[in-house]
Amino acid sequence: MKTWLTYHVQALRLVLSRFQKNKLSTFLICLSIGVTLALPSTAYIILDNLDGLVSNVKSESKLSVFLSENHNDTLVATIQAALKQNPAIQHVLFVSKEDALAQLAVIDANKALLDTLPNNPLPDAFFVEPKLLDVISIESLKNELSKINGVEAVLVDGAWIKRLNYLLQLGQKVLVLLASLLGFALIVVIGNTIRMQVLTQQAEIELSKLIGATNSFIRRPFLYLGALYGLGGGILAALISWMIILVLNQTVTEMAASYQTDFKLIFSSNYAALTLLIIACLIGLISAYFSLSPIYKKS
Amino acid sequence: MIVFDNVTKRYPASGDAISQVSFSIEAGELVYVTGHSGAGKSTLLKLMAAIERPTNGTVLINNQNVNKLKESTLPYIRRKFGLIFQDHKLLYDRNCFQNVALPLAINGITGQEAAKRIRAALDKVGLLNKEKAMPITLSGGEQQRLAIARAVVSKPSILIADEPTGNLDKNYAADILALFKAFQQVGVTVIIATHDALGQASQQNKVLHLNQGRLSTSAHSEVNA
Repeated sequence: MKTWLTYHVQALRLVLSRFQKNKLSTFLICLSIGVTLALPSTAYIILDNLDGLVSNVKSESKLSVFLSENHNDTLVATIQAALKQNPAIQHVLFVSKEDALAQLAVIDANKALLDTLPNNPLPDAFFVEPKLLDVISIESLKNELSKINGVEAVLVDGAWIKRLNYLLQLGQKVLVLLASLLGFALIVVIGNTIRMQVLTQQAEIELSKLIGATNSFIRRPFLYLGALYGLGGGILAALISWMIILVLNQTVTEMAASYQTDFKLIFSSNYAALTLLIIACLIGLISAYFSLSPIYKKS
Repeated sequence: MIVFDNVTKRYPASGDAISQVSFSIEAGELVYVTGHSGAGKSTLLKLMAAIERPTNGTVLINNQNVNKLKESTLPYIRRKFGLIFQDHKLLYDRNCFQNVALPLAINGITGQEAAKRIRAALDKVGLLNKEKAMPITLSGGEQQRLAIARAVVSKPSILIADEPTGNLDKNYAADILALFKAFQQVGVTVIIATHDALGQASQQNKVLHLNQGRLSTSAHSEVNA
């Protein structure tokens, strides 16, 4: 156990001392990894923020249940009771046609228009806030409500939310594809860098094998090298994304202000940053692992 | 310690490098392997150090059959040997101290303990004052001694040297040979390959004389033991 630890400390020290000797080239390799990773991670942050924005908007979405013209007060009461008992419904508000007309008439321009009408054209209506806000449950609630006796029509406010959701899903798919392609490119780039290092140390590797080094002894420093390249790249990627978000936010807050909201992009949680670092580390490790074939070649 | 029984090593491209060789080496012996270049000396040494496996026959090292060992256990067998290569195989990107440190690192020995043993090994070959020097600045004889320091630092029980005096002038060569004898006197088995005429040495020590891959009976009576 102690020997095992010694081997790992030894390998890590070796790699760090090599980093120290080649500061600039190490930084440049990490930077190229960082830039490559910054693209998908920034896209992820933006999509994540938009997703949060949309789920905020969703909570404002309501179903409007319009009643048919010929009905009496008992039917209204029955429907109201049924709606209140429905487990999928959070909140129900009844607005009679007189109230609705009065609300419209508050605005002067509307009043002038309404005065020209012979009678009240508005129906009685319930405004329903559903509990679950995803597209499928809203759709099924809509179907359920429109079957109730006395209900003329059910409208879902915000069909645009549905479209926005589809757009977001599309964005997520593009992100996944982009990230996988770039991840693959990274594995090739890091792998090549490490293969070069292996080749420049071929003499040492050959000698070590002759005097009794195991394959894992020879492999270990290179695996650390890959993982540390990944880690360095991940840290730089997080920094770059953070700076991009900072720059974008100047415009985003101005735009949001014009919509009377204080929306701005937030650099995601520590959890997301940690995930980025772990993924970067893993990519480095995997690339190192697959570029070590020259080691196993028999001298 | 090392037993060869009817050993043949065949390389696909060049045929038999060693044919039907049998001998045994006891602990603490000083053994010369002689023969012209191309006679199979280096191949014999590689077989002894478990760097190559025989094509036919058995090689026993400390009663372990090399042919039956798994590839993954071979490195541990190799650590029993101190190897001195014909071309030294020094690492020119690090200083003398770091060159000697490599076998210890492979054995998982680092820090103070390693430094102590590295300095002891350098002292033994007379290079203690050169520990910070780069190998490229050393003379041929000094490089050879550095290679010996690296071979003995992990205190191996068997020392194998391939042409250790090959490129050295006579005075240096005598120094080096004296060094090997000193190791033998403290109980280390020493195996030296050389193409030089041995002169007196052949009378006192076991000699394995190779001729086109076969042990030649003419060299010494003990050869066919």
